[in-house]
Amino acid sequence: MAHFTVNQEDAFHDTLPLFSLTVEDSHAAAVHGDSDTQTAVQHVLCIHNGLSVFDHQEGFYTRLTVEDNVSFYHKWYGCRVPLPEILVQFDLQSCAGQTLQQCSVSDMRRIYFAKCYMSGGRAMVFREPVHGVDIKTMNTFLNMLHKLKEEAVPVLVLVSNMEHAILLGDAAYKLNPNGLQEVETQEETSSEPEHTGAPAAANLFKIPAKVGDKVILFDPPEIDYIESRDGKAVIVINEESYTMDSTLAEAEKKLEVYGFYRCHRSYIVNLQKVREIITWSKNAYSLRMDNKMQSTIPLSRTKLQDIQDKFSLR
Amino acid sequence: MRIQRISAIFEKDLKDFMKNMMVALLPVTPVLMTLFFNQSGNGGLPVIMHYLIVGITFSVVTSGSIMTILAEENEKHTLRGLIQSPATLWDIIIGKSLVTGLVTVLSLAVSLFIVGIEPFLNFKIIMGIILLFLFFLLLGIGVGLFAKSVASTSAYLMIVMILFGFTPMITLLGIGEGSVIMNIIDMFPLMQVIEMHSAGTWAPLGVLTLWTAASGMFTFVCFQKVMTDD
Repeated sequence: MAHFTVNQEDAFHDTLPLFSLTVEDSHAAAVHGDSDTQTAVQHVLCIHNGLSVFDHQEGFYTRLTVEDNVSFYHKWYGCRVPLPEILVQFDLQSCAGQTLQQCSVSDMRRIYFAKCYMSGGRAMVFREPVHGVDIKTMNTFLNMLHKLKEEAVPVLVLVSNMEHAILLGDAAYKLNPNGLQEVETQEETSSEPEHTGAPAAANLFKIPAKVGDKVILFDPPEIDYIESRDGKAVIVINEESYTMDSTLAEAEKKLEVYGFYRCHRSYIVNLQKVREIITWSKNAYSLRMDNKMQSTIPLSRTKLQDIQDKFSLR
Repeated sequence: MRIQRISAIFEKDLKDFMKNMMVALLPVTPVLMTLFFNQSGNGGLPVIMHYLIVGITFSVVTSGSIMTILAEENEKHTLRGLIQSPATLWDIIIGKSLVTGLVTVLSLAVSLFIVGIEPFLNFKIIMGIILLFLFFLLLGIGVGLFAKSVASTSAYLMIVMILFGFTPMITLLGIGEGSVIMNIIDMFPLMQVIEMHSAGTWAPLGVLTLWTAASGMFTFVCFQKVMTDD
């Protein structure tokens, strides 16, 4: 069990509210916060809790091969798992003979994960572990989290992307100047009363959103997806986001007829814009959008069958 | 566990040493210089030249390589996450010193075989040379610990080389025999070994021990500074 606490004496960080978070053994918690908040949290964890935070600022021996690097850390930390097994676990066997100068960003990240894993701390904190990496590396990280759970190591992940927070953590939290709030990821036990008959807003063709004092009207097909932020529905189109005046549940009702689907408690996607259904290991799923950002939207386990039916996949 | 960490560092640094052109060429330098001296000396070289070769080897190879490889770890932040306690930093230093020692012995052996190793096969002289090696090693570790980049080590290396490696050359500058500067220079470690060679007394060994102890103190102070900085 690990406690992550920000006490009164750390209050010199203006950006950081006071909070206490307990992560039990074999649990992973994900905290969503912007870069400044993450830096402040990292600082507090380093100074007061004496934890090392894996923020990939560390260098490697770039003249040596991947295998030389990994075998050095393997020996240094006295890791009990055999070296070939580590290479396979972190998907490094294919680039084992390359020097690090020839490796891609994702390869480097997997080496880094291997190093973190072998260092075998009692509690681990990762900062932005899967930012800008490929799917293979993301899967490697999820596998590692699973391994750490088996070894009863509590893990805290700091991310600035809500989709990643929901995917990586058993519990996801949102950290802003007001405090720490848990993001509900469980499904509602009793679903909202089904509305009967034709959707009420069949005659509505535009979706309004506010930017400052202006009201912008969007065509439903141009919307990528809608997410819930602080109880408000937010329309995301490429890299821009616009706040709607309604809640996610209201938006869902309006947009159902335009081929939108509530794939997660906090997300509604435009099914026309879904490019790929990604199956992570350990029964986690995401939808990849066909937009500039290639956003990945979490897909609830229970909604998988539903969405497969919609796409006639079964 | 400790032995395992030291051997991990030793293996890693030996591999890295071969691939790093900057340090891989260091042990070649004294050998090349020995060849030049030997050619120009027409066989018999004076004792002072023998010790100049020892000085060049220790300053360039020993101090040069350990300060470069330590400073590179500093510069590239590769030590982050490896050091949990002062003890683990010592493991790193010991592992690197072993690599440096191995390379120095190879380089020195080749150089001395070229000029003839017989004058050095004497218990007292070997003791002196070992102390001299420790002096240069500790000096290199100290500099390597506080140098923040590889580029800055070349400046420090220059000072170490001219002051301690090329000391016999300074005596050739033609400064008056009895002057203060000469008296000070005569106390320098390399000059003490030369004196031990020619006079055959034990006193220079004591002075040499003092130099090594001073160099050890310097390393210790740098070490404390590095540990408190983090």
